[in-house]
Parts: sequence; C-alpha cells; structure tokens
Amino acid sequence: MEYILKNGIVYDPTNKVNGDKKDVMIKDGKIVDEVSSDAKVIDVTDKLVMAAGVDVHSHIAGPKLCVGRLYRPEDERRGVKPKTATTRAETGFSIPSCPTTGYRYSRMGYGTVTEAAVPPLEAKHTHEEIMAIPNIDISPLTLFGNNWFVLQYVKEGNLDDLAAFVSSWLKITKGYGIKCVNPCGSEAWGWGMNVHGIDDPAPYWDVTGRQVMRALVQVNEMLGLPHSMHVHTNDLGHPGNYETTLKTMDCVKDIKKNPSVSRDQIMHCTHLQFHAYGGTSWRDANSGAEPIADYINKHDHITCDVGQVTLDETTTMTADAPMEYDLYKLSGLKWANKDIELETASGLIPCIYSGKAPVSTLQWAIGLELFLLIKDPWKVVLTTDSPNAGPFLRYPRIISWLMSSDRRTEMMENKEVHKWATKRTSLGTLDRVYDWNDIATVTRSAPAKILGFKERGHLGVGANADVAVYDLEPEKFDPTKAANAPVVEDVLSRALYTIKDGQIVVKDGKIAKVVPSRHLWSNVQGFEKQEKKVLNDIMPMFNKYYTIKFENYKVHDHYIEPSIEYKVNASK
Amino acid sequence: MAYEEPVTDYDKIVENCTCAFCGSNCDDLDYLVKDNRVVAVRHACRLGASKIMEDEDQRLIVPMIRDETGELVETDWDTALDKAAELIANAVRPLFYGWSETSIECMKKGLKLTEYVGAVIDNQATICHGPTVQAVQNVGYPLMTLGEVKNRADMVVYSGSNPMNAHPRHLSRYTMFPRGWFRPRGRYDRTLVTWDPKFSDTAKMSDIWVPFEENGDYEFVNAIRAVLKGKELKKDVIAGIPKEDIIELTEAMKNVEFGALFFGLGLTHTLSKQRNIDIAIQLVQDLNAYTKWVLLPMRGHFNVNGFNIFLSYEMGFPYGVDFCRGYPRYMIGETTTIDLLNRREPDVFMVIAADPGAHFPGGALAHLTNIPVIQIDIHWGPSTELADVVLPGTFIGVETAGTSYRMDSVPIHMKKAIDPPETCREDEWIVNELYERVKKIKEASK
Amino acid sequence: MKTITLTPKKFSSIALEFDELIPDKVYDWNKEDFEKYEVPIGNSRFPLTDYFDIEIEGSAEGPEEVKMILDGDMGRVKYIGCKMSAGDILVNGDADLQVGAEMTGGSIKVNGNAESYAGREMKGGSLEIMGNVREYCGTSYIGEWRGMSDGIIKVHGNAGKQLADCMSGGEIYVDGGCDILAGIHMTKGYIEIGGDVTRWPAGQMKNGTVVIKGKLGRLLEGFEVEGIYKNPEIHGKQLTGKYIKYKGDIGVNGKGSLWLNAEKNRDLL
Repeated sequence: MEYILKNGIVYDPTNKVNGDKKDVMIKDGKIVDEVSSDAKVIDVTDKLVMAAGVDVHSHIAGPKLCVGRLYRPEDERRGVKPKTATTRAETGFSIPSCPTTGYRYSRMGYGTVTEAAVPPLEAKHTHEEIMAIPNIDISPLTLFGNNWFVLQYVKEGNLDDLAAFVSSWLKITKGYGIKCVNPCGSEAWGWGMNVHGIDDPAPYWDVTGRQVMRALVQVNEMLGLPHSMHVHTNDLGHPGNYETTLKTMDCVKDIKKNPSVSRDQIMHCTHLQFHAYGGTSWRDANSGAEPIADYINKHDHITCDVGQVTLDETTTMTADAPMEYDLYKLSGLKWANKDIELETASGLIPCIYSGKAPVSTLQWAIGLELFLLIKDPWKVVLTTDSPNAGPFLRYPRIISWLMSSDRRTEMMENKEVHKWATKRTSLGTLDRVYDWNDIATVTRSAPAKILGFKERGHLGVGANADVAVYDLEPEKFDPTKAANAPVVEDVLSRALYTIKDGQIVVKDGKIAKVVPSRHLWSNVQGFEKQEKKVLNDIMPMFNKYYTIKFENYKVHDHYIEPSIEYKVNASK
Repeated sequence: MAYEEPVTDYDKIVENCTCAFCGSNCDDLDYLVKDNRVVAVRHACRLGASKIMEDEDQRLIVPMIRDETGELVETDWDTALDKAAELIANAVRPLFYGWSETSIECMKKGLKLTEYVGAVIDNQATICHGPTVQAVQNVGYPLMTLGEVKNRADMVVYSGSNPMNAHPRHLSRYTMFPRGWFRPRGRYDRTLVTWDPKFSDTAKMSDIWVPFEENGDYEFVNAIRAVLKGKELKKDVIAGIPKEDIIELTEAMKNVEFGALFFGLGLTHTLSKQRNIDIAIQLVQDLNAYTKWVLLPMRGHFNVNGFNIFLSYEMGFPYGVDFCRGYPRYMIGETTTIDLLNRREPDVFMVIAADPGAHFPGGALAHLTNIPVIQIDIHWGPSTELADVVLPGTFIGVETAGTSYRMDSVPIHMKKAIDPPETCREDEWIVNELYERVKKIKEASK
Repeated sequence: MKTITLTPKKFSSIALEFDELIPDKVYDWNKEDFEKYEVPIGNSRFPLTDYFDIEIEGSAEGPEEVKMILDGDMGRVKYIGCKMSAGDILVNGDADLQVGAEMTGGSIKVNGNAESYAGREMKGGSLEIMGNVREYCGTSYIGEWRGMSDGIIKVHGNAGKQLADCMSGGEIYVDGGCDILAGIHMTKGYIEIGGDVTRWPAGQMKNGTVVIKGKLGRLLEGFEVEGIYKNPEIHGKQLTGKYIKYKGDIGVNGKGSLWLNAEKNRDLL
C-alpha cells in the first residue's frame, strides 16, 4: 500500500524539518521519497504532521501492572467504555487494561513505547501482556540493578563475566536494554531496609549503588547496546535527594561510550522530577531542579526524562519497593508489594496528586522547571513515568503547559495550584515556551535517539512509516495563549491520523485498525563463548536458589510474536 | 503402603515438566514415557503423580450429547460443536465458568467468545480465594515469589491451610526445608507456625500451633494488631487463645528477620470471610514497620491465579466479569457464578476444566439441572452427569503445552510430553471452534 | 408534576436493569417513548411493555417533578434509582440489587425488602426501606476506600453483613438488628442500630460514629472504653439512657466512637 500525505506542516527535528509544508510519502511500511501513481492521496493540507511518538519510559505491561489492575477495580471502573465494531471494551484510568493501553497511545499518535521494568523471572508475563496490547511497538528493559549475580560480579570486579551475563539475560528475557532501579536499595528491601545515597552498601553483599551503576554503564558500552544504561537513581522521592542525583550523574562521566552507537549519552536518568528535591524534610522541601539542569546543560553524557506530575489520582508502582512502603506510611492507602527472588522488588500504592496540596504542587512545578531549565530539548524527554506521576493519557495536557507560559501563570495565579509553586521553585520566573519543533523533539526525535532507534521518531527516507497527523493548523494557531491550552490538549488526544508501519490505525481520533504490537529486543552477537561459560558458572547457584528450573525460566520464542530483533555487534 | 519396584521399562524421559495439579506448579517433574503413556513420574507428590498417571480410567474420549431419553450418547465433533454453539448463540444470560485447569492460551479464546456473546466469565476463585481478592482490593497485597521465602524466611506461618495434605511439596520445595542463601541449614533456621482450629498434619509438625476457635480469626488478628499498637489486652482469652500467648506470638513475629504468612480457605471461608484476609493483610503491613513480612494465598488449581491475572490484564477485573452490556462489569454478589445460579439467572452454562457438580452448593446445582450445560473437560465427573453436551479436551502440561501462573504469579510454560488421544481436541481449539460457529449463527440471523 | 406508574405483568428470572429509567433520564418521556424503550435483560434488550403496563400522568420540566411508582414486586429489577439526582421513586414490593446505588439526590422508598448493595456509594438524597436489607447496604465499591459520603438510609427491618463498608459521610439508621462488621473501615458518618448486633461492629474503623441501642454479641479488642455517659448528645442527636463510649479501632490508630447501650450490655460494664 502506498500513501501520500499531502501538504502537511511537518515537524521532523531529526531531519531539520521545522514546520515546512511538504508531502510525506509511504510505501511498504517505510517512508520513501517517491511513490507510484497508485498511491492513495490523503489531504492533510496545513495540518500538523510529525513522526509517531516514542515513549522512553512507561509502565504498561508486566507483573506489577497486573497487581495494580487486580487490586484497583475502582481505577478500572473509571475508564470503562463499551466495545465498538473495531475495539474491545476499555477499562482503567491510571492502569488501563492491555487493549486499552494500545488504543490510548495510538489515539495520541504514539507508535513506540518502552516498558521500563521487567523482572527476568516474570518476563514471560510482560511479554504475554505485550501480546495483548495492540498498535504500538514495545521495547522492554530488563532489571539488573539488584540481581544477585550482578551484585556478585560487581563485588568481584568481574566485568567481562558481567557483560556476558547481561548479554545472555537479554536473550533469555527478550529485553531491549539495561534498567537499574535504586541499585542495592531493592535488595536491602529484602530485609525491609533501604540504602541511602550511592555509597551505602546493600546488607550482606557489601556492594554500593555507585559500584553497580558504574559496572552496568561499562558493560552497556562493552556490549554496545543501542540504548544506554537506564537508571532510576537512589533516594527517589526524598527531600534533599538532588545531591544523590548529582553524584549519580557524575560517578559515570569518565566512562567511554562505545563508538558504534548512535546515541550521545552513556546513562539515561529517568523520571528526574522525583530525584530533584531540596530541603531536609517535606516541611522545608524545595526545588533542586536548578543544579540538576545546570549539570545536564554542562555535560553530554547524560539524558533524562521528566516524570511530570499531572495532578491526578493515579497509581504509583516501582521496583523501588522501600520507597513505596514510605509512601504507605504517609498516606495509609492500600499498599501492595512484590519481591522477586534473586532479582528485584516492587511496590504499589494509589496516589492522589492534588493542586491544592503543597507537596503535589512542588512536584508538579519541579517537573516543569526541568523541562524549562534544561536548554537542549534533545536531552530531556516528555514522560509521566506513567502511571507514577500521572497516566500517559495526560501527555497532551503537559504539552499544553509547555507551550504556554501564560497558562502556567494562570494556574499559579488563580490557585489551581498551591502557592508552593511560586514560593519553593523558580517556575514563576520561567517564561520559556516550547514550540512545535521542541515538542516534536521531546516526544519523538530525542527519545528515539536516546533509545538508539534509527528507524523511528523521524520522517527521513527509510524510516518506519509511523506518522501522526493532528487536526490543528500550526500556522494559524497560537499555542502560547492560555485560552488555547484546552485546544492543544484536545487535539493532541485524538490524532486525525495515526499511521503505523504504513497502515492507518487511527482516523479522526478513533481506532480504525488493530494490529499486533511487536516486541523489540536486543540480541548481542559475539559473546557466545563467554555466555556459555557464565551460564555454566552460575548454574549451581541458579539451581539451588531459584524455585524454577532454568529450562522453564526463559522466555520462549512464541511469547514474542511478532518481534523485531536488534542484532548488536559487540565486537565493534 | 507396599514397596513399589522402580519403573525401569520406558522409552524416554521428558524432564522439567510442570505439574498440573495444585498452585505450587512444581516444574521439576520427569515423566517416564512408554508407548505414548506416562508410566512413571519422578519428583512429584502423590497427588500430582496420580493425576498425571492414573488419568486414563475416567477419561472422556469422544464428544457426547444427551438424547431425548436423558442418556449421553456418543457423537461426532461437528454435531456436538454445532449443538453447543446453537445453545450459546441463543442464550440471553450465558455463563462460562471454570478455566483454572486449562492454559492462558485457551482462556484467550474463551474471553473472545465471552465478549462476543455478552456472557459472564468466571473461575474457581469465585468459590475459593475470591474473598482473598476482595480483601486485596480493600487493603493491599504485600507479596513475593516463593524463592524469597526459601532464601530469607526465618518464620513461616500457615493459617487455615494444611499444605502437608493439599500442597504436599510446598514446605519441602519452597518454605521450610530447602536450604536458602541466607538460611543454609534449612528447617533448623526457621520457625514453623500454624494458626488453625484443627490439629492438622501441618500443625503436627509445627514449632508453634495456635488453635484459635472456629470463626475467631478476625477477632484473633484484631487482638494481635492491638498488641502491636501497644494496647494492653482486656480479656483473658481472646478467640480461644490466652492473652499471654497472643502477646508472646506478637513479640516473636516482630523479632524475626523475614516472616511469611500463607493462608488458605480455612481463613477465607469462615464467618467474616474476606475480612479475615483484610485484617491479616493489614497485620503484615503493620509488621513491616518492625521487620520484613510478606504473605501469599495458597492457591488451589495450577492456573486459578493465572485466570485472575489474565482477566485483569485483558479486561481490568480478576473474576466474575459480566459482559452482557458490552462492557466489563465486576460486582461481587451480582456478577459471580454462585449468586447468579442461586438467583436462577443463567440460561446456558458452559463449564471448562472445573467440576461444579462436585463443588457447588445445592441451590446452584439445582438450577444447573434446569438449564443446558456444556462441559469441556478431560475427566468424567459429577459435572458430566449434569451436562447436555460433552466435549473432551486434552491434558495441559502432559498432552498439550500452555502457560500457567504459579500461586506466587511466576509464569511457567508447561510443556507437552505425549500426544493426546486421537479423538480428543485441545481446549483452545474447542473454544475457538465454538466462537467461529456461534459467530456464523449470529451473523446468519442478522 | 408527572407520575409514571409501571405495573409488572410478567416475571423474568433474568434481572431487568433499570439504570436508564431514572427521573433524570425519563422526565420528558411520553408514553410512546416508554413503549419504544427496550430494557436490558442479560445480553439483550426486550420491550419494556412485555414486562410492565405503563401509565403516565401530568408533565415535568425536570427530574425533580417526577414520581415513579413501581407498583409491585421488583425483586428481579436491578439498579432502581441508580445515579438519580432528583425526583421520587416508590417501590411497592421488594427491590433487587443496587437500589439507590450512587444516588446523589431525590428519594426512594421501598415497601418491601431490598437485596444487597442498597444505597452503595450514596452521595445524597434519601433511601428508605420498610423491610430488611441484605449485605453491603451503604457500602463502597469494591476496592474503593471512599464509600457512602452523604444522604440518609433508613432501614426499618434488619441489616445484613458489612453494613456501610468504608462509609465516609451521611447517616444510616437501622431499626432492627444487624449482622457482623457494621461500619467496617468507616472514616466518617453516623450509623445508628436500634436492635441487637451479632459481632464486631466498627472493625478497622478510623473515625465516625456507631451507636448500638441493642445487645452486642462480641466486641473487638481494638476498642477502649472512654467512659459512661447518661443521655449523651451524639452527632447532634439526643439519646436517652446510659451509654458506654469506646474509641477505636486501635489497630488502625482509629479515633472513631462506638456507643453501646449500657443497660443492654451490662456484661461490658
């Protein structure tokens, strides 16, 4: 099938197309520069055209999502919609069912989403859920930061074997990259404890977060994985934690990037908003966004996403399980926890972020500060760490805040948010606004580059034909006006067209077609001998301390249909 | 028990098979296969081994339809499937129950059929750990995988459950006996506690037995929580337990390094039902302020948890989901099987991989005798006596591969070791075939 | 004023769902609209006229001017008055599941018994049941920690188990007895039970008030005596007689109050 999207206003930062009126041509699922006369013409004259969105960090599939759905029927009830001729029934607000997740991302014009935390033992579960999510390709990141084998190798300083272990475990779990959550802290949670800062060792193992993060970044570069090490740093959610965050970013800066990769960073710091607090307690807490933004502005080895608070009732869920218990002690709302043997932990709790509450507002303002203080939009990605700071379906609303400083001022002035926004942060003094090119950068080009996708997030020839068209004429529309914020939100919530691999999956804001999502995974080549040795070495420990046979541990091929294998040549 | 000679006459061994019996989903079984039959099973408990091997005598082999005289008569697949599809297509309040002893792959097809016709779909949780799910929804769910207990736990509590009889390898494989990373001496490094009115086989081997009175669960746990908060107990005996014992137990629980609470239907089905679990969960949450505690329900069937997980990720709700209005609705007491049957609402009942005939209360069964019942199963059982159409399936984990979720939600791919009987069909195929045929009927009548 | 009278003429063992037939939606319906209407039953819809004779008198500008009379046994009619905000509904017989669930205003009177979930998540208005109610009257939705928040439920008969789970406002009066765990997880509001209570009222209560005028079977350890009061004024209401006041549930650091009639519960004095 061939298409030609005619006369759209195209924003494609990767290819330096900044609001030019041009045609986008599609053939056999790819962007091309020429189509035959059989091509179907879709008139999108003067409409906003971008590549389909790419999400660098979201929680959409896997065991803790499922605990959330199972124990929050009151959240599921919030999003119930009947089935239609093309779609199944929808459920859920912060933790939508799998089909709903696919429909909602697709309607927003997204095409690729990273599932940010996969415990290897239950990776099959994640892939089963991915099979139930339609219309978006999904890159799962495998959790390594508290894995006993990793801790052991780090303790021994054995990076070669660690690299082979990681490469092998990415194959076993069909993971795309390395995720590290509160390194050593989730292991400490095995005893109901946590670690504080990057130099506080895990009990028994005597290994620190600094050691684990450095080792995983080094291994990531040895293997030359498309994405960098993806870290959720220690001390999430604690006032004063910005110092830990600065130390974290600084502790890997000497590590050399693998020359073969297309990304610039060696470490991606996720949901940075949760890691950018000053003060010593929630009484005197304030923003730590400035020093963090300043560090990122001055260094090129780090990228980040924000984890923007959306001021909704949502569900928090993270492998940072001790933090979730802290939240439980604060709010008393129903707390769930899920520890995974030899690997990780996780916790969940419903969370109500309210503009009336000082702490929620502080978090909201710090997120926006990060967006506005980090100068280069290629280093900062729009996320809500969905559902932690808010559900992903609020992305359009965040965009409306970024595009209009008037709207932000209005919210602070008419008390939609608490006065802490102006008293404890610099948000009131920031009048920077994002333009459509910036928006396309933080939602498409930058995340694709950070994740190492060459074929996504842009509209250059050869790219996947993943395109979003919105019912808005950027040349006639002023998104900086506060009154236009609801329009931005509305329009971006329901794409005029979402095209996935050359197929129209959304038309006029409605799902037009349902296609299976592909599982994206990294297959490292050239480490086979070392992998075999490592498997032999660890098998006695595996057999003794896991409760499952190795043969039944791996993700079998039939759990990842359809998939895209990213062959990584480690020797390069 | 007489000595049995080891089986030496077999063609091949299939290793690391997963047991399709209880929620322990032991995945270390070796099947000894001769002439496409499992002649011996290594590592399994007696319950598992007997299900896997002595499967043949009661096996449903060919499709059957009940005739005008009330007898089940053998028929061909087409006739049986068409009959079942016609019953489903014409139903106003169809109810599809069971699913806990089949694969996730089959459930997928079942849900598709459910959504298509607007039926109610429900599983055995509705009569077993449903109250647990409700409690979890009320107050939370601090759980773990079983290896956490094996490697760390120094106190294990079983309440209202008797794993020595119902989950025979639970203690040896996961909780008490295995040598864990931090518990190198296994049993000697752990304290076993049983809370149970009954002096069960598990109680007999426990270090501490707390025989609270029947229906006293809620009051007993409430007292422990009060002690934890520093209250001096007023009554001398609470729920049948002397107050000194409650205080001592509370102190012991506070002072372990890692405690795990497992509970079964003895806790979910006494007077205050889900509230027993509700308060037990809150106790575990309280204890985490002092040390590490986790809990886990002792799920019965090997995929009963799998169904709850599956339905949650597909449709947002764990069991008892009603699609009659085109969207999922989950309301305990309204959209749950026993309540619907007691109210005499369903007009067609399909049971797959479950035996309501053996387990449902009388009132619910009475209604089943009045409406058409379609059975998909591998064994002849009480439900077969109620069935109007019988569709013989295959044995997951032995004859057909498939996914299941262990009681602690660890997913396992159960493999196939032998071929099914030629006249049987895979559950997944049967349910999909019903979908196709129902669709044909519905579309023709449009 | 508009009076809509539905008189049952045929019984369906599969419940009819009445969530679309509330004053808010039908105030401007004429007879033909009702005759055209198909009511959800199971996975289908059938003409309402198959099941009811319909009479309409008068007219209404809004739901507050509507009176619906369901003149007979509604024991298989679910969701009567569900989510209604105004108007009156009179049920001359039993009501099935979810009567008055999520109502925000108006009034419902049931001249018979009500099934479970009567007044679930009520936010306003009044629900009066002349007979008994089953379980979960005035409760929250499963998993939701914010339950009934306003309005009044009056039950002249007995109430089943787990009355008003997670109640966070409003008032409930039960003239008869009450089964276990009334007011469990309650955070606010007022429950008054005229008759005897089996066991464990107010378990895990954080706040709010429960008054028991009859005999209590068993009290939980999570409650501590605060004192004995004569003719206390509770929640703006004057009670007569001696009452023991407890505070609890300690297990959740609760500050709720549980009042027991001292005369009927002398064993606790």
